[in-house]
Amino acid sequence: MEVGAMSKAQTYTYFPGCMIPFRLPHFELAARAVLKKLNIELEANPGHSCCPEPTTFTGVDFEAWITLAARNVAVSETTGLETVALCSGCFHTLAVANHMIQEDEKLKGRINERLKTVGLKVTGDLAVKNILHVLHEDVGLERIKKEITHPLTGLKIAPHYGCHVVRPLEATHMDDAEQPTWMDDLIEVTGAEVAEFEDKMSCCGAPIMPSDEDKAFTLTAQRIEKIRASGADAIVVVCPTCYTQMEMQQTKATAKFDPEYSIPVLYLGELLAISMGMKDMVISNARRYHRVKVGPLLERIGGVA
Amino acid sequence: MVVLRSTSDLAFRNWVLEQPEGETLLRCYQCGRCTSACPVAAIDNAFNPRLFLQKILLADESLAEEQLVWTCLTCEQCEVRCPEHVKIPHLLILAKVRGLAGGNTPQGALDRARAILASGRTIMVSESMLKTRDKMGLPDLGQPPIGQIASVLKEIGLAKKLEKVESVYGGGSNE
Repeated sequence: MEVGAMSKAQTYTYFPGCMIPFRLPHFELAARAVLKKLNIELEANPGHSCCPEPTTFTGVDFEAWITLAARNVAVSETTGLETVALCSGCFHTLAVANHMIQEDEKLKGRINERLKTVGLKVTGDLAVKNILHVLHEDVGLERIKKEITHPLTGLKIAPHYGCHVVRPLEATHMDDAEQPTWMDDLIEVTGAEVAEFEDKMSCCGAPIMPSDEDKAFTLTAQRIEKIRASGADAIVVVCPTCYTQMEMQQTKATAKFDPEYSIPVLYLGELLAISMGMKDMVISNARRYHRVKVGPLLERIGGVA
Repeated sequence: MVVLRSTSDLAFRNWVLEQPEGETLLRCYQCGRCTSACPVAAIDNAFNPRLFLQKILLADESLAEEQLVWTCLTCEQCEVRCPEHVKIPHLLILAKVRGLAGGNTPQGALDRARAILASGRTIMVSESMLKTRDKMGLPDLGQPPIGQIASVLKEIGLAKKLEKVESVYGGGSNE
């Protein structure tokens, strides 16, 4: 047994949100499996609720949004551990609320008056992280490389970062708002090639689905068309909303430029899991949670169990 | 040509300036880099972030009465390009909030807000999903504390506001 496996696992407080645990549980499964290989555990806390989501609830009542977000941050603070949100929307909400509380004493004061009614208090001292922070910054590429038993040589992968995991930089503490590289680096570690494409940091279109579905899919279609031009074999995402828009509803987007075209979309955790020899786990969930077939893609990876 | 409606008082503008990060509005000098960076503006000429900021500066609340403001993606590409780091999507969020009382909110957004107040989540969790999680070996996540949600929001009165509101327009699906 290697030394790493015997030492005590590092634990993060896991902020689950709604979409990943109850719509796309294969995200959570893959993330947990990959993190376990890296000796990291995720511990949920029953005090958490919906983050609340940052694309529509903000516009219904911003003050209510930041109050509920701050309550979740306060719950996380009680755990004494750093918090990781796998969903980009949840991460954005918690990170932005945390940042605004740090910057605005008046806001912090009135929120804490409200939190007092439930025995909570928010300080703003908590580190709120996403999966890219954990993998790229906390674990590091060298450590991850040691777990890559099945390199994805020959695959060309388009990294779709999405918006809310990256912007605004002062709250997300990511590497760059327009040219981030953390996901690129993680794709390269698996042995795959990173596809270069136009408008890399564009939106998937999903946030405006409740107000203008046609406009949303026009943007999704443009996005996929530009990725197609790069010759990518697959798209990799971190966000469940981007996944829903670009994978689950891909045919509505491709109908706008080429109904015959399709491209597999994988969660970053799935890509890493495959490269770490857990292809079977990914395949076992593919039929239920992937509408675009991933089988042909996985067959091309030589030597993968 | 766009005719700007002026208001006799500065209520809308003053309210925006009082909100967290609302005062970043005053740094806008109308250069238009936001609009050139906006992916929605690229496919819809009517969607013009620079003009939206001008309207808020002039206390023209018509923005809060139009569906258009809800087609902001909140992608923040405008904010990244803004030389003054004006919190543009946030200012549009504040305009959306002003539109709630008049029903200028997509039905999907109201549904989500009501679901969060009622269950602490945006989506319904079925028995079969709980079984699936169990089969996958994923832990039980329990039930969100909805009593706490009601308690911390009491002073804001969102539940009451949502009781009365009806969306003035339909919209897309909730997913």
